Amino acid sequence: MPFPVSDLILIVPELFLTAVALGLLIYATVVSREKEGAIAWMALAALVLTGVLLFVPFSSVTSLPQIGFAGMFAVDKFSLFFKILILAAAAVTILFSLRFIGSSPYPGGEYYCLILLTTVGMLFMVSGVHLVSIYIALELMALSQYVLAGYFKQETKSIEAAAKYFVLGAFSSGVLLYGLSLVYGAARTLTLTGVAQALAASPKAPLFILGIILVACGLFFKIASAPFHVWAPDVYEGAPTPIAAFFAVGPKLAAYAIFARIFYSGFGPGSADWTVIVAASAALTMVVGNVGALMQENVKRLLGYSSIGHAGYALMGFLGYGTDFGLPALMIYLASYALMTLGAFGLVVMLETKGYAGESVDDFNGLARKNPTAAAAMLVFLLSLTGIPPTVGFIGKYYLFTSAMKAGWFWLALLGVLMSAVSLFYYFRIVRAMYLVDGEGELRWKEEPAVSAAVIACLAGTLLFGILPQPLVSWAKACLLN
Amino acid sequence: MDPSVFFFWVFAAITVVGALGVITMRQPLHSALFLLLTFLAVAGLFILQHAEFLAAVQVLVYAGGIMVLFLFTIMLVNVRRQAKEPFVNRRAGIAVLAGFFLFLLVGGVLTGPALVKKGPPADPAALKTTVIENSTARVVVPGNSEAVAWGLYRDYLLPFEVASVFLLVAMIGAVVLGKRSLEKFD
Amino acid sequence: MNYPIWLIPALPLLGFLLNGLASLLYGAAQAQKRGEEWRKAHPDEGHGHDHGSHEAAHGAHDSHDAHGHDHGHHDTGPMLPWALRLFHGVVGVGTVGLATVLSFGILVPYAKSVMSNVEGARPIVETLYHWIQVGGLSIDIAFRIDALSALMLSFVTFVGTLIHLYSVGYMQAEAGYGRFFAYLNLFMFSMLMLVLANNLPMLFIGWEGVGLCSYLLIGYYYDKDFAAAAGKKAFVTNRVGDFGMVLGIFGILALFGTTDFSFVDMARQQQMASGTPLGVYAVCALLFLGACGKSAQVPLYVWLPDAMAGPTPVSALIHAATMVTAGVYLVARCSAVFLLAPDALTLVAWVGAGTAILAASIGLAQNDIKKVLAYSTVSQLGYMFLACGVGAFAIGMFHVFTHAFFKACLFLGSGSVIHALHHEQDMRAMGGLAKKTPATHLTMLVSALAIAGIVPFAGFFSKDQILGSAFAGGHYILFAVGLVTAGMTAFYMFRLYRMTFSGTYRGTPEQESHIHESPLTMTVPLWILGAGSVLTGFLGLPEVFGKNLMVEFLSPSVGKMHAHEVSHATEYLLMAVSLAVAGAGIFLAFKWYTGQDAKFTPGAAPEDIIASPAAHAFFEKTGTLGKVVANKWNVDEGIEALVLSPFRKIGTFLWRGFDALFIDGLVNASAFMVELTGDLVRFFTTGNVRNYALTFVLGVLGFTLYIWMR
Repeated sequence: MPFPVSDLILIVPELFLTAVALGLLIYATVVSREKEGAIAWMALAALVLTGVLLFVPFSSVTSLPQIGFAGMFAVDKFSLFFKILILAAAAVTILFSLRFIGSSPYPGGEYYCLILLTTVGMLFMVSGVHLVSIYIALELMALSQYVLAGYFKQETKSIEAAAKYFVLGAFSSGVLLYGLSLVYGAARTLTLTGVAQALAASPKAPLFILGIILVACGLFFKIASAPFHVWAPDVYEGAPTPIAAFFAVGPKLAAYAIFARIFYSGFGPGSADWTVIVAASAALTMVVGNVGALMQENVKRLLGYSSIGHAGYALMGFLGYGTDFGLPALMIYLASYALMTLGAFGLVVMLETKGYAGESVDDFNGLARKNPTAAAAMLVFLLSLTGIPPTVGFIGKYYLFTSAMKAGWFWLALLGVLMSAVSLFYYFRIVRAMYLVDGEGELRWKEEPAVSAAVIACLAGTLLFGILPQPLVSWAKACLLN
Repeated sequence: MDPSVFFFWVFAAITVVGALGVITMRQPLHSALFLLLTFLAVAGLFILQHAEFLAAVQVLVYAGGIMVLFLFTIMLVNVRRQAKEPFVNRRAGIAVLAGFFLFLLVGGVLTGPALVKKGPPADPAALKTTVIENSTARVVVPGNSEAVAWGLYRDYLLPFEVASVFLLVAMIGAVVLGKRSLEKFD
Repeated sequence: MNYPIWLIPALPLLGFLLNGLASLLYGAAQAQKRGEEWRKAHPDEGHGHDHGSHEAAHGAHDSHDAHGHDHGHHDTGPMLPWALRLFHGVVGVGTVGLATVLSFGILVPYAKSVMSNVEGARPIVETLYHWIQVGGLSIDIAFRIDALSALMLSFVTFVGTLIHLYSVGYMQAEAGYGRFFAYLNLFMFSMLMLVLANNLPMLFIGWEGVGLCSYLLIGYYYDKDFAAAAGKKAFVTNRVGDFGMVLGIFGILALFGTTDFSFVDMARQQQMASGTPLGVYAVCALLFLGACGKSAQVPLYVWLPDAMAGPTPVSALIHAATMVTAGVYLVARCSAVFLLAPDALTLVAWVGAGTAILAASIGLAQNDIKKVLAYSTVSQLGYMFLACGVGAFAIGMFHVFTHAFFKACLFLGSGSVIHALHHEQDMRAMGGLAKKTPATHLTMLVSALAIAGIVPFAGFFSKDQILGSAFAGGHYILFAVGLVTAGMTAFYMFRLYRMTFSGTYRGTPEQESHIHESPLTMTVPLWILGAGSVLTGFLGLPEVFGKNLMVEFLSPSVGKMHAHEVSHATEYLLMAVSLAVAGAGIFLAFKWYTGQDAKFTPGAAPEDIIASPAAHAFFEKTGTLGKVVANKWNVDEGIEALVLSPFRKIGTFLWRGFDALFIDGLVNASAFMVELTGDLVRFFTTGNVRNYALTFVLGVLGFTLYIWMR
């Protein structure tokens, strides 16, 4: 049966965003350098409009989930949850980039186009229900990111980040693909439902188990969980800061979404063995990320290690497989993680005057006196990252740790609490620099309305959902996998 | 011995030797030539699987187009220097050991008792025909390239289109990173 | 009452927002002005960061040897305009004062209803909304007033208001006046959240909030290295406690299936959802670890004496009267759980007693007036835990209550002295202040008598009943330790009194001419707190004298261990003994410290200057021991050698080991960075990425083996 043309309505948001990206690419060739800001604003508007368009497929279908394109693409609430977060992260990234790119010698057109295209990749990823469509979308996302990481090509660090990310990304793709091929060999199908049926028929097939392990390892790379995390600090440090912020949030959201989808709907029912690898990786990741962050002087590296630590916490959500708690806890946590991480990165962006200045922890010295608002905002984000109430970070961690305990992983929850205590040390190095150290000389602070607006939005979310978490919680619970 | 099995082993051996050559040669040009060898051997494997179209594409696109690009690049960049650092570094031992164990594990899994319930043995010839169903008719289309076409443009249309965007990104990336000057400095 | 409870913490929060906003706007305007001036002064340097002057300025700070002194009036900027100061003062004091009025509006009728019907007294619980819901378990934003929180609420608001008022005078010359009041208001908000919380997670919010404020206020004089270091020390020590606290909360959740304070009733009726005796013991020990961190008990007490680096009102409010008692409050709140694990109570009692005598002995030889009071606070907190440990939770809370008054009074008095002497904190450079600062002198004398435990001042009743409970419970060693500590307390308090107020002034005549009594905003709180030090004791008269209102009031909320009654005769005897010991301590202090000796020369041996010949003879005999005591039993050095340095080594080892194994060492990495010249071909063959890929392969291999080996 050839696919019905009416399926096109299912991918209206993705089509729209791709079209805008291509349009901007062409527009960038005719617009002068001074007016490149317009491209950013158009990209931003496109992201917002895509967010609105997300609801078009929903209005067109009668029942959820609606699968289209010969079992490749699903419209469901689970993908909606992640798509909204991803679009928001991309929008925040563009707000961060306005001055950052505008004052750099690098062209803006391709930059914003690539951000939009990597976003398109993520949108396709979270809707994928077929291993091939998921994989191709993942590569679309990843390739755009390799380029974005090396966008400041005259900076050695940036090009180094891109090269490392590219080589290791290709390597991880190889592992992932090999895993997928083994799964295909065992199941003779690539749709998630088909894989689930085949697994249920022969759950302990070595071919399946090896395939599942390799797929898990490939995805761990994208999540940056140990021992597949080694690339992350280098890439976060080298990439342009707005891009580092985006890397810390966007790809991870998409990777968690497909991890959940592949393992819950594909591998889950047949073999629950995979939870032990997830637990092992979670434990290792928490320790490596948090201990590693203790040694960092560079704020971007520090946040990179911190995001590795957070990946470890988040992985605990998958351990609740089979209970009602794991997945909603993970989704709540990811939303909170996106808010606080983007906020913290926003302040790093503001602190940079040009290039790589303003990245050391020492550059935060005396910020509380130079700009008390910014220092207070940073304090809130850091408290939230540590998981101290009444911030959204606490809510997320609370749900995650209780879900892990309810799934019987007490020692892991304990380790999580311990590592949260450790994380306070390095987060508070920044607090100490801001409040208890005197910075002298000129204000290197650059007030910037666009970044401020994004940071304020993150701040509002961090506090609001910390004090009143119910809307976020019920939204996550309404958007579970079917 | 069944000639197809015999040729399978021949091509498989050439593939592996070629791949080893790619990573052990010190001259980029030699590596590229070994890569060409691998590509051709893989094309041979495709033919053994009755995937003639795929084999043809493999030769045309990879062995033809992409290899030529590789060789052009290598000649243009003119890399004559040998890498300075020793070929095997201190971690090589661990790497070899790890690779060996991984090889044993994977090999063990693949050759060991297959607990997967066997379906009917796949008939390579069946790939040559594709059954097209729609609401009104059931059409059997013969031929290898047709089968690929139906698969690519019907079942896998969405990944195919996403892949086209992917290639576009690759192009943009090459331009962005490869362009020598930054216009803002002009 | 017709108004909601949430208004009480909301008012200080409003104060924090207003003060913070005003201070922020003003600060931003000033910063802009300074920035423009800087730009004018450095026209050539454009946007670059001036590292040279930065370093130079830091060097200047480092050379400034200021160990443990409360440096007010330092010049980070000009004094604020009077209108702004008025605004900060009015908002700061006003919001807290209004919260106090509201609290008492609720407390007085509530106390009446409790006293008229002890058995039927129900806590007032006000639920705002459900905060977190996980599978049937709900954590609410809810406020609770019962006898225990009512007691805490009363003195936190009352003493808090007085100290805010005092700060108006004490801090007026500070450039960070607005920042100070904003932090102080934020502290009050957090403390009230802690006290009014109806569940452990909410209590934890307040717990972390007060910790944050404490950290920021200890480091208030941020440009002094010792202040920043002290803040760091407080931070690190408290993390250890907080870790126990969080695990304890999870433990309570595991034991009772809920974290709101209904678990107390469950524990009282021994209705546990699950749990073994060992589990209960572990939970109690973890909660007590949290309490030890916040309330500065052995071995986590080291941060509190250093915390004196903050401004004196902060020392009085946070590090004496309110925040540090939160640990006692936690133990009292969970008293029913602790009673299920008597071994945990024994731990509490011994830690408390040990802390009491250790800190008191260190207090004997300190020369910094605030350090004496700091060690005294640690020691008194030890008493409170001792009381809890022997099962007399109500008595422990009573001591919290009386201590808040007399210790706040002592700290504010010392602040007044420091203010009068223009930030001199060394008692060897004081003397003869009785006439010059009569109000300070009198109020400090009263509160010193109270802490020494002289009848009829407040400390006598609470401390005597702690000792009485220990004795009645058959804990004779604990009793003896407490008694010795009482003697030491009396001695060091009157040593402080003699060195400060008696005799003649030991500074220069030029300094002497500047000594002045503090303004009214500072003396009025002193008088009120002094009166409190006299009167509050009567709220908890021992049974032999009549009804113990305090114990009766608290009985619905806190547990009590069944104790053997002692006869009235024994009780009178115990009182006489403790009075005699206190009297002996005071006598010795008066005899040894006449306050009449020579001028203060910096660098002289600790006790050479003002102690009498008899004291000298004693110190010569004790020799090394005396030095060790003066050096705080070398605890800081011990911690450094036993705990910190091994940890540092382990940390370094892990870091390097990890690095060497996986990332091929920093050396390789930096060499790699140098070599990397944009030549991508060469880049791909350097070791680093290959090692990353190797890590990857090892990971795959490890996971595969892990699954297969299972």
